[in-house]
Amino acid sequence: MDERDLINRVRAGDGSAERALYDAHVDRVYRLAYRLAGDDALAQDFTQETFIRAFEKLDTFRGDSALSTWLHTITTTVVLNGLRKVKRFHRREADLEAADGVTGGRRESEPDLKVRLRAAIDALPQGYRTVFVMHDIEGFTHEEIGVALGVETGTSKAQLSRARAKLRESLADFAGEWIA
Amino acid sequence: MMMDNDETKFEQWLQDAAKTYNAPRPTPRDEMWAQIQAERAQGARRVVVQRSWLRWGLAAAAVLLVGIGIGRLTSNQSAGTGTPVATADTTGRALVYRVAATQYLSRTESFLTGFRADLRAGRVDAFPGQARDLLATSRLLLDSPAADDPRMRALLEDLELVLVQISQLEAGRDRRNADLITQDMDQRNVLPKLRSAIPAGPVPVRTQGAT
Repeated sequence: MDERDLINRVRAGDGSAERALYDAHVDRVYRLAYRLAGDDALAQDFTQETFIRAFEKLDTFRGDSALSTWLHTITTTVVLNGLRKVKRFHRREADLEAADGVTGGRRESEPDLKVRLRAAIDALPQGYRTVFVMHDIEGFTHEEIGVALGVETGTSKAQLSRARAKLRESLADFAGEWIA
Repeated sequence: MMMDNDETKFEQWLQDAAKTYNAPRPTPRDEMWAQIQAERAQGARRVVVQRSWLRWGLAAAAVLLVGIGIGRLTSNQSAGTGTPVATADTTGRALVYRVAATQYLSRTESFLTGFRADLRAGRVDAFPGQARDLLATSRLLLDSPAADDPRMRALLEDLELVLVQISQLEAGRDRRNADLITQDMDQRNVLPKLRSAIPAGPVPVRTQGAT
């Protein structure tokens, strides 16, 4: 079915069209939410919130961009706002733990590449990490990222380049891996 | 050239290696869809409830405004004649305020009873918004002749305090504060005082032609 027809049917209150629209887009939304959140429960919450907002606001979708682009704009907004709240909560928890003196010791080095890579990506500034995840892992184009994040395409490219440079620096110990 | 080559190799390696970063499990489609449907249905119910409270809030505000209008009119007339005695108009004015106050007290009693019951069931999401509507009426009444009676004023002030606290609850995340509010209500006997201030019999809902 043509996407425009599907949207019109959803606007008219057709429940099966809502489900069809959801089925067409949920995988990519959930994958993106999961990649950015790194937690299944959060990814599910963010995905649900994205579709609830999308159904509520579908009347405002003018069709200037693809529906998927519009949905990914909602997804990134929901995820990044949600993660900010989670981060604030974790910071408060960490402060409390520190005040109680119950923090565990941290390992100085971790030889496993997967773990180091994960830590390096997590340590990127939020903007760099989002662009890196969207482009290099989930395969979004710079144009799609620009629309979703509300930034210029050039900004997306610059942030990706800086993200890669930071990762290369963080993973310098593993240079043998990619040179080989 | 060597740098460019290294750069390209690094990017290719990074893209492959990063596939393991927060790798998602298969999408739980049906699970999430069921949750979305439930949330939307709950949202729709909340809107209906809020609309009915809004309608009531507007009605109460309208009753109060009528009272204030009558008050201004009669006070102007009294100033003109210089007669400081009760008239049919002032009796009518008092009745309008009494009707508004009784309606408000009945609604607040239902609201607080519902709040306590729903709190036990873990549902407090809709209450902050409703508390704000009632709070606006509380303040209108506190500024009206309905609060001339010291007992009524004390009750309205108690209710204002409770409603302020409920209106500041963060939807769905403030169970502990909600418990503290009900404890505070119990300690100050808010609900028994409120119930004893509501006259027996049906709550007056119309004021037109009341005099």
